[in-house]
Amino acid sequence: MKVLVNGRELELGGDATVARLLETLEFAGSYALVERNGEPVERARYSQVELAEGDTLVVARPVAGG
Amino acid sequence: MQDPLVIAGRSFRSRLITGTGKYDSFETMRDAVVASACELVTVAVRRLDLDSPGEDITSFLPDEILLLPNTAGSETADEAVRIARLARAGGLPNWIKLEVIPDPRYLLPDPVETLKAAAQLVEEGFTVLPYVQPDPVLQKRLEEVGCAAVMPLASPIGSGRGMKLRDAIRIMVEQAEVPLVVDAGLGAPSHAAEALELGADAVLVNTAIARAGDPVAMAGAFRLAVEAGRAAFLAGTIAQQETAEPSSPVAGVVR
Repeated sequence: MKVLVNGRELELGGDATVARLLETLEFAGSYALVERNGEPVERARYSQVELAEGDTLVVARPVAGG
Repeated sequence: MQDPLVIAGRSFRSRLITGTGKYDSFETMRDAVVASACELVTVAVRRLDLDSPGEDITSFLPDEILLLPNTAGSETADEAVRIARLARAGGLPNWIKLEVIPDPRYLLPDPVETLKAAAQLVEEGFTVLPYVQPDPVLQKRLEEVGCAAVMPLASPIGSGRGMKLRDAIRIMVEQAEVPLVVDAGLGAPSHAAEALELGADAVLVNTAIARAGDPVAMAGAFRLAVEAGRAAFLAGTIAQQETAEPSSPVAGVVR
C-alpha cells in the first residue's frame, strides 16, 4: 500500500498501523506527533489506527525553538 | 514554596522561562537550561526530516521540566490550532505558547488571529499562553476568553533591544488578572531585571542566552537578574524625582 508521509510516497505492508509506520521510519524520539488525513492521531491509538491506501500523513516532532 | 509563579494552578519556583532555539548544540542548551534553574521551556513543532531525523531534543532536558510547545511558523489562527492539536495528541503537554506571526521582518504577532485561536484553544481545553504586542486592551480580551497568561514582547524577537515598549507593559502590569510574562527582545540580564522590577510576573528569554559568548554563564546571570528584579519589586523601589536629596545630614557640617 502506498501512503504519502511528509510529502514523500512510501510503500508499506498491507496491515500497517501508525505504530508500524513509525517503526519503518526508525523514529526514535520520545514524541512522535502524527496527523492522518488532516486529523491528529492520539498517541494511545498509534498501534490501533490502521492506515489505508492513499493516506496522507504528517509526522512531526518537538524541535528547538523559542 | 515562597513567592511562587502560578500559572493555571501550577506553581513554579523560577520566574525565568527559556527557549531552546539557536544554541550551537543540544549539550550547551541542556547546560544552560540547568544553569538558568528554569522549570518551563519552549519547543517548536516541525515535520520530521525523513532523510536526517537528527536527535530528540527532549532527551536532553531534565525530566522535571515542563515543555511548552509553541505554534511558531503559523501565520493564521487555523494553522496555530492545527499545531496545538497535533502536539497534544502526540503526548506533549496541553500547554501551548500561542504565536501567530505573519510578518517576517519584525516578527510581530497578529492580534486578531491570536485572539481567535486563543478562544478556540481554551474551548478545547488547552492552557493558552499567547505571545502579543503590548496592548492593554488585547490583554483584557485574552483574559476574558480564558488565557492562562499573557506574554507581551519587550521589543522584536531576537533584537536584544530590551524594554522599548515599557510604558505599555507597565499598564498591562497594573491591570493584569493573569500572569504577565515579558517575552522577546530582552538582550541582557538588566533588561530582565527591569521587567521584574516593573512588576511583570516572569520573563521568557532565548536568544540573549543562546547566542551569548558563554551561554551557560549567561543563563546563570539571567537567573540572578530575575531573582534580583523580583526581590526589588517586592521590596518596593523608591519614587523617582528630578532633583537631588542628600544622603548625609545637612546639619553640623564641619567646615
